[in-house]
Amino acid sequence: MKSSLAERAILYALVAIILMVFVFPYGFLVSTSIKPPVDALAIPPTLLPQRISFDNYTIIGDFPVVQRSFGNSTIIALLSTVISIGLAIPAAYAIARFATWAGKLFLIAALVTRLIPPVSVGIPLFAIMRSLGLIDTHLGVALAHSTISVPLAIWLLASFMESIPRALEEAARVDGCSRFGALFRIIIPVAAGGIAVTAIFVFLASWNEFLFSLLLSSTGVKTAPIAIAEFKSQYGIQWGTMTSLSVLYSFPVIIFSLLMQKRILAGMTMGAVKG
Amino acid sequence: MKLTERSFVLLLLLPATLFLAAFVAYPLFLLIRDSFFEVSIYAPSERVFVGADNYLHALNSSRVRESALRTLNYTLIALTAEFVLGFAAALLFNAMGRRSEILRTIFAFPLMIPPIVAGLLWRFMLIDNIGIVNHVLEHLGIIADSSDISWLGDRDLVLFSVALPNIWLTTSFVALVLYTGLQNIPSELIEAAKIDGAGALQVFRRVTVPLLRPVIAVVLILRGIDAARAFDMIWIQTEGGPRFASEILSIHIYRNMIRYGNVGEASAIATLFMIAMVLISSIAFFTIWGKGSSQS
Repeated sequence: MKSSLAERAILYALVAIILMVFVFPYGFLVSTSIKPPVDALAIPPTLLPQRISFDNYTIIGDFPVVQRSFGNSTIIALLSTVISIGLAIPAAYAIARFATWAGKLFLIAALVTRLIPPVSVGIPLFAIMRSLGLIDTHLGVALAHSTISVPLAIWLLASFMESIPRALEEAARVDGCSRFGALFRIIIPVAAGGIAVTAIFVFLASWNEFLFSLLLSSTGVKTAPIAIAEFKSQYGIQWGTMTSLSVLYSFPVIIFSLLMQKRILAGMTMGAVKG
Repeated sequence: MKLTERSFVLLLLLPATLFLAAFVAYPLFLLIRDSFFEVSIYAPSERVFVGADNYLHALNSSRVRESALRTLNYTLIALTAEFVLGFAAALLFNAMGRRSEILRTIFAFPLMIPPIVAGLLWRFMLIDNIGIVNHVLEHLGIIADSSDISWLGDRDLVLFSVALPNIWLTTSFVALVLYTGLQNIPSELIEAAKIDGAGALQVFRRVTVPLLRPVIAVVLILRGIDAARAFDMIWIQTEGGPRFASEILSIHIYRNMIRYGNVGEASAIATLFMIAMVLISSIAFFTIWGKGSSQS
């Protein structure tokens, strides 16, 4: 297909406009974060910093609660990743390899959990965590986050495992490997790439989660999004610090997304669309 | 010890089943049970059975009805904008072919930005007087003064304003998924239709859209569910205000439970919300998906 020069010019102009509108908000966020704090609310607002200053970043040093919240988020996201992947690997293997009614039922049940508004589960989860003594603990929040990621991880892993040739395990079984041996020695190593991608998804789902953290944590294990949302001084919202915190908080997300661009779509559609 | 295949499969499914039973199914059971009781969050052991009172009260409450309607409107606003913009972008990428790769990479960028960052950022950009959006509009001569539009303060406007970060974050998702779908349409089909004399619009309506139907179904349903369940993005922008004008159901349920401590009534509303979600998405699934398969 050959297009004329005019057609191409229109196409690229269109693309340029879309990109500007699209990338602009985040660029403005980063730009504001490296302005001196008072310039965040300058009238009129400027697109680029007139003066560069990292005060919005250094000031975070004065807020130990906020600093700790990043640590809490990391611990909770790691815990939730271990729990979800540990539970999802065997389940996904069963679903991908053995066509049983239980597997099918499970896949549908996992899909239905996506329809549940988190706020519905959140209310009773609070009561359950309280009776287990897990309110305001890393484990309690991580378990709550895993209710979102276990179904996601099962769907994703099942779609990865389906692409592994059956001949691999059959050969191992003939050589005297047990059923569990085949899972641990053959499937898990071969599916390592898919498991890594799934783990990143689960980590980010926990890192980004807001409502369960809000319900289940107070001062002890407050996560980063809650600390950022609550970050108000006696003078109201400090927009300068808000922008630097937002940049820091979204940083790992952006790095991970760039690392696994191709798989993002598969993850976000629970494997329904392969990118 | 020899394991039969059947018991091996059940053994593999057991841990995840136990987890989901304890932390998803059991909470749902508690939710439905609580919806028939009057329970206060402050004294959860003192519960009084009230039958369907919570449901009747919820259905008769104008505030619940209004927030249900708002949830629907918010979902429709976000979904329509995302779908129209996303589809347009997908067609653009498809027309560009391989050259669109860098573009798509840049486009994928907001996909995973944390929702609260998106919410905060848009709140910051939409502040009256000092927000950059109004200043840009003033600069372009669209509004006379930068305080003319109160994006988050105007009750008639706020539902659109709180949808903006959602649209910003997920248009790219819609675009990239639809693009993948478009790429999977065999080009021979399109060429054949063109040889038969079909115009571009006809090819789009008769070939592209029908073949894309399953992908469209996935996108609309996933995005619809996520928009309807939204909480954090709106909470961070307005907390449901001004005067409840952006209070969608999940915010109403949260407030009813945490601020007012009405666990029973909040549970009844949450149960109704869940039933509505399952019903609406099943209907959407069967109409969009079902039509496609009966035609082919």
